[in-house]
Amino acid sequence: MPDPVTAPAEAFGIAALGGYLPLLRLDRKAASRELAWSGLPMPRTGTRSVADWDEDALTMAVEAARPLCAENAPEALRFASTSAHFTDRAQSGIALDALALPRTVRTSDAANSRRVATSALLDALLGRRDEIITAGEQRPTQPGSAAQLAFGDGAAAVRTGPGAPARLAGHASLSHDLVDRYTSREHPFSYPYEERFVRDVAVAEVLVPVIRAACAAAGIAPAQLAHVAVHEPVGATWRAAAKALGCKAPNHCEAVSDMAGDLGAAHALFGLGLALDTCEVGEYVLLVGFGSGADALVLEVTGPVPGASATAAALKEGQVLAGYSRFLSLTGSVELDWGMRAEFEQKAQATVLERVGRDMIGFIGGRDSTGNVQFPKSSFPVNPALTEVETLEDVRLADLEATVVSVTADRLNFSPDPPFDFGLVQFDNGARVLMEMVNRPAEGFRVGDRVRMRLRIKSQNRRLGFRTYFWKAAPLARPVLGDA
Amino acid sequence: MATGIRDKVAIVGMGCTRFGERWDVGADGLMVDAFTEALADAGIERARIEAAWVGNALDDINVGNSALPAAHALRLDKVPVTRVENMCATGTEALRGAAYAVASGAVDVALAIGVEKLKDTGYGGLPLRTKGMQNDLWMPYGSAPGTFAQLAGAYAARHGIAAADLKRAMAHVSWKSHQNGALSPKAHLRGAVDMEKILGAPLIADPLGLFDCCGVSDGAAAAIVTTPEIARALGKADPVTIKAIQLSASNGWEMQFGAWDGASVPNTRAAAARAYAEAGIRDPRAELDMTEVHDCFSITELVIMEDLGLSDEGRAPSDILDGRYDAGGAIPCQLDGGLKCFGHPVGASGLRMAYEVYTQLQGRAGERQRSKVDLGLTHNLGGSPFNSVAAVAILGRLN
Repeated sequence: MPDPVTAPAEAFGIAALGGYLPLLRLDRKAASRELAWSGLPMPRTGTRSVADWDEDALTMAVEAARPLCAENAPEALRFASTSAHFTDRAQSGIALDALALPRTVRTSDAANSRRVATSALLDALLGRRDEIITAGEQRPTQPGSAAQLAFGDGAAAVRTGPGAPARLAGHASLSHDLVDRYTSREHPFSYPYEERFVRDVAVAEVLVPVIRAACAAAGIAPAQLAHVAVHEPVGATWRAAAKALGCKAPNHCEAVSDMAGDLGAAHALFGLGLALDTCEVGEYVLLVGFGSGADALVLEVTGPVPGASATAAALKEGQVLAGYSRFLSLTGSVELDWGMRAEFEQKAQATVLERVGRDMIGFIGGRDSTGNVQFPKSSFPVNPALTEVETLEDVRLADLEATVVSVTADRLNFSPDPPFDFGLVQFDNGARVLMEMVNRPAEGFRVGDRVRMRLRIKSQNRRLGFRTYFWKAAPLARPVLGDA
Repeated sequence: MATGIRDKVAIVGMGCTRFGERWDVGADGLMVDAFTEALADAGIERARIEAAWVGNALDDINVGNSALPAAHALRLDKVPVTRVENMCATGTEALRGAAYAVASGAVDVALAIGVEKLKDTGYGGLPLRTKGMQNDLWMPYGSAPGTFAQLAGAYAARHGIAAADLKRAMAHVSWKSHQNGALSPKAHLRGAVDMEKILGAPLIADPLGLFDCCGVSDGAAAAIVTTPEIARALGKADPVTIKAIQLSASNGWEMQFGAWDGASVPNTRAAAARAYAEAGIRDPRAELDMTEVHDCFSITELVIMEDLGLSDEGRAPSDILDGRYDAGGAIPCQLDGGLKCFGHPVGASGLRMAYEVYTQLQGRAGERQRSKVDLGLTHNLGGSPFNSVAAVAILGRLN
């Protein structure tokens, strides 16, 4: 049993929170029907979230973090994932540019355990630092595995700070190399061990002791917890742990598992968003990250946490995938023969990225002396009223809405998820940009539609393993699940 | 004050290969065919060619960059050859270079030749760029039909026209070109197609269907230009002359600045206005007898009719459906089938358009011959509606 920590960081806690899920959801019942002939055990209830072809752990983590840095920059930006694309190029550094944060903000990536985001959060709180911890996950899975239907793609982020409405009241951590599942270079798909073994050991050796210790540090009994966000290694783990702890609090991570799937490193933080959206002032909320041990954080809620309700709302929005084969294609489980046009390969140049990459991924345009904004910037402004070279003032377009001027659904151009929607969009500040469009509405995009910007993969060179990122236009609102 | 090149340059010979899926021949062979036909037509020795402009838009597709592929193929010995490239307006750009050389007095005889060998890519549509420069970090990799399809939605929005009505007018554009292409021996697509088939074709880029898109072809076309005086000395009593060639290029305004609604191509309007002035044309609807325009897609031709001032704003669909631009109409468009059916080997297309006007002006168009042709216009458009190079040329006779 870990020693209780008796000196929680005074009034330092979670200042705001964000969550992001991709639009698409797979209906598990429908998918399991496709595999019924195999006799393989499959989850059959709820839905899982499915990333678009141009979303990855980074793009989703940036989306989750966007609301957290609208007003000022944090001291540090931490990226957490077990499915990051780059292994020697910091995702946090790319995210920094995508979020247009100053280069003086410290960055680091954390990986190799589903628990890394809560560990990073705890470190930030104990260090009393103003940090953004953003976790994104898009884990590869194999058809036929329970994980393919149980996992989901998504992201969650938190910002720490003083005077926060969710104060760290107590915490405990436990390292325990319980191999409930693993991935490795040789085995990129998650390899699970028997559920009963995992549940029994996780409850008895990890969760119960660490939660008891955290509650003791906070000066409360587990029964006083009003809500929990416990990342379960397997289903019904919390039920068993709660019984042992004498705690009746609902685990909000179960709703995330049910409606979006297991979000890996982002799971506990996403569940925390739901818990903080539901709880009352004065209540205690438990956050537990699980993986190679556990971190348990007891939070005392002193007020509404910005972003919690948006995170909860995101869970209810989405569009159910019509076909299982499209899911298999989106997840890379089947490789369709897209023909010769798909052989297109573009090599990104590091020199170009160094020169203009930060403006591109930050979607930074320029404002001329008349006030007109353009993208990209240029020495001679595009504004016909100006004929001399000017230095344009930086203007970020990523957080602005725009209007579709012209659009088509291109079926000739190769796209891994056709059709390829693109067209001209007009920002209210004057900027006009030819853009790809994503999250196609049922009736397609139309001239005059209002759109918002989403970070996506712009190009990927699979042979060289490189990706570039840019912004794409998406509808302002998403359908509510069940209505789509 | 510049006076332009009206009647300062005569076309004394032209050649054009059969366009299409030319599995039988490479770019060099295509150039040879167009060149030898032009030489024979001009009735001159090849040694009289003092300079050449070769137009080729997609240098990495079996032609190669620089002067050398043309100089080698045609064995142009120590001739100053210049390769030009201006996307789909490349063919007219080559003609412009040769014409300006003659008009300036720098040379007496010049060659313009355009060539493209697209069907060695192994797939339909145009090839994609792969260089990974700044634009590739943000600009969508849209296809050509994808960029031009956007004219349709914007046009419908500007004029309040129902999508189905616009689609029918677009289908008529394609129907008409297929009718004409059937009479064009060198055309890529020579079969007539009915309206129902056009309207029911699979979508390529909303709302463009398969038959709204031009053929992607191999081919070459060439022109030999000289002074009117030399043309007469060669026995051309009433030679075809260039009345105007004008070009207009986007500076990024349409794509980056908010004043354009996407329903027209401003560069076509600018190039046409300058060409009409250079040619002394005051009323193009009354004075032009035919046009060969850049109908890469049906909606492009529809919009061009307004951009050239041949239809009133918002009236192109009804003019098209009324047959105004059909072979028997007031101002026939694409008598040879156009890009749609004659085909579109990019670097050759502008010269192919000139080839049809040149042929019609001389009364040599056979079944396609229009009874009266004194002035014909070619319009060649490179890029996309929002980032374009437009070229307008007007040809007539000297007398």
